[in-house]
Amino acid sequence: MYKNIFKDDEWKRSEHMAVRECVGYYLFTHQLMEVSGPDAGRFLDYVCPNDIASLEVGRDRYTTILNEEGEIVDDVVVMRLEEEKYWVSTLYATKIDDWFYFHSDGFDIDTCEVTEDWHMFSVQGPKSKDVLNALAANGVEDLKFFRHRPDTLAGKDVLINRGGFTGEKFGYEVYCAADDADDVQDAIDRAVKEAGGKEVTEFQVFAWTLPTEAGFYYMRDLNRTNPFEVGLEKNINWDKDFIGKEALLKIKENGPAREMVGFEVCDENQDFYIRAKQYGGPGEPVFIDSEEEEVGRVSKLVYSYVKNVNNGYILAKKDALHIGDRLKIHGYDCVITGKNWLK
Amino acid sequence: MTKKIDGRIPADSGNDAGFTQYNAVQSPWNKLMSYQDALHYASRFEAVLSAAVAQAYRIIIPDYATRASEMCKEAYGRLYYTGINYPGDDGFGIHPFMCGSYPGALIGDKGDDALLMCGRCQDFGTYRCEKELDVCDWDICGSELCRATTMSLQGQADATESRHRKGKKLDYLMVEAKGCGDRHCRIIAESREKYPAPEHELWQSFGPAVSDEYKKYTEEEDTVEESMMFREECGYRFVNGTNTETDSSNQMVNLSTAASLYLLPAIDNAVKLGYTTAENAEWIKKCVLEAAGKAMFGERYAIRACREWLGVPNSIGEDGRLLGGVIEMLLQSLVCHYEIEAFNKDEVIYVINRGDLAITGTQSLCEAHLYMWQGMVKTLVNAQWSVWEEDSPKGKMRIKIAKKIDKFM
Repeated sequence: MYKNIFKDDEWKRSEHMAVRECVGYYLFTHQLMEVSGPDAGRFLDYVCPNDIASLEVGRDRYTTILNEEGEIVDDVVVMRLEEEKYWVSTLYATKIDDWFYFHSDGFDIDTCEVTEDWHMFSVQGPKSKDVLNALAANGVEDLKFFRHRPDTLAGKDVLINRGGFTGEKFGYEVYCAADDADDVQDAIDRAVKEAGGKEVTEFQVFAWTLPTEAGFYYMRDLNRTNPFEVGLEKNINWDKDFIGKEALLKIKENGPAREMVGFEVCDENQDFYIRAKQYGGPGEPVFIDSEEEEVGRVSKLVYSYVKNVNNGYILAKKDALHIGDRLKIHGYDCVITGKNWLK
Repeated sequence: MTKKIDGRIPADSGNDAGFTQYNAVQSPWNKLMSYQDALHYASRFEAVLSAAVAQAYRIIIPDYATRASEMCKEAYGRLYYTGINYPGDDGFGIHPFMCGSYPGALIGDKGDDALLMCGRCQDFGTYRCEKELDVCDWDICGSELCRATTMSLQGQADATESRHRKGKKLDYLMVEAKGCGDRHCRIIAESREKYPAPEHELWQSFGPAVSDEYKKYTEEEDTVEESMMFREECGYRFVNGTNTETDSSNQMVNLSTAASLYLLPAIDNAVKLGYTTAENAEWIKKCVLEAAGKAMFGERYAIRACREWLGVPNSIGEDGRLLGGVIEMLLQSLVCHYEIEAFNKDEVIYVINRGDLAITGTQSLCEAHLYMWQGMVKTLVNAQWSVWEEDSPKGKMRIKIAKKIDKFM
């Protein structure tokens, strides 16, 4: 009998629950592509299906980036820093850097990766607002979701963005110069611990268990899918031209072939063995009852410390699986669910 | 009955490997071997050669602990400095927030798949990682190699750690090894902050792991035989946990071998440390590799199988062209450029690009092949025949396969 790497790990549980019940912080520096110039907004509007040009200075927008087949190349947050300057926050800069370069013909823009210059600390949880109010010179009382503004923290210039990857109502991202990271982290660390919170150190918590519990994706989940299959089509601006639009219109017309659904492992045997794509590989095949046809693959399998259940996603054939369906995956009892375990 | 079509290798697999006519290697008698088979063949042949080099190393340093220790230190140091000088975080999907040495597991994960050592990552986190392999062509090279590969991974992981903000250090252990007779190879890396254990020497990297109770063991029926890049259900792509994605096309040109990466450098290091002289080390390698080559075709059925495999016509009798065919198949499989200067019943002469044959820049790998071929020709053809190097232009190895009488052979 082996232990469950999530359920039985009190270290992970305590870090996860600090965010849900109090406040947690962690280094969450992403790769940053800076796009500037007179055509920066028009360019990003072309490479992103969601509306970017209308974004006001000081605001952010989550969007996918698609290839010509309508497949998701990346999912990013675009931040409009100035009238003609944007940051694109990604974890796939190796691809996006080239992608921007090869699609920039006809646009008066400059693109460069500025990852090395910045660090970002994510402060998440119910008490994160109190922590930031105590730390930031101007406070965050009136800072609304997906808005950012410059401030000072520990005497250092920072950019504070309200947002995060946890599904928490209150969560903030503090960007600082790489050289100032030690001072900024020390200040955040002290304030978070004084508030009863802790540093979240486990990758599996800040990248997998917290986001999955809220129904968010890590880029690997979206690999070779299109927005309709993973529920990211809602904010697409169909009135503009963008890369992948033609293919996506056909998918819209015909309907997606697959869909991402949630599931939980019900089996009492905690030593279950179900492989998921998050570690690489194809993921466990999913069959319905005794039918021979494979209807999907397990994309992700982690743990909801709020609901105390192993939870994850299945990329399945459209309409093959419905909420409440019970099935066996690799011999273990599972049930199909929604994708948000915080509701 | 079922109409299911089993996974097939895509026709374009190997498109960028440098072939001119087919995505296949071609014997002198036009027998084709597919890209996938060629990759497997090259991998296994080089593993056999590596196993022979490992025996030479065992002769040079007879004591296990000393030998394993020196090999681990050499591998750790070389791969640490390689990681420092040639950082490739983006290429391995290592993100800026991945502090500590756990992202080193991503390097190992990708490297395994490229070396056809298929299996699966079972855990990947800040304090613990686990990788399980079902296949390892190097499993015949001895457990010292298993230890050294683990320490090279530790070196890469520590180099990665040094490029990020302070994080958690992991201790990489190979707790199961096919080279030791286990069903799987299993590396578990764990943080001593979370899973305390006494310190150990580099070569004692076999565990046991403190976090053994989290281990996931894949039963035989769920094991795999091919890397992701050759598997239909993986879309013929290797994709690891953070979305690094490659296909099979560049695998052949990136092949590395146990001999070139670990064993020959270990012997060079043993010479530097005074365990033996350079001359004696060369002599031992020559003796062992020639014997290994002779053993390849010691039985008649091996010769018949080889002729069949190469598509040798009945009109070709016992002459050097047989070995020539074997060598050409290998050189093509290694994407090693060569020219044919002679190919007839009396002699075969190849001019081989040393830089291509010296995989990962290990020049002594060229001589290791030559020793092996000299042994092979004695049993594949007959004892009248030899293989030797003569009149090589700069940067090339000109080898001749012909009859030769040598009273001191």
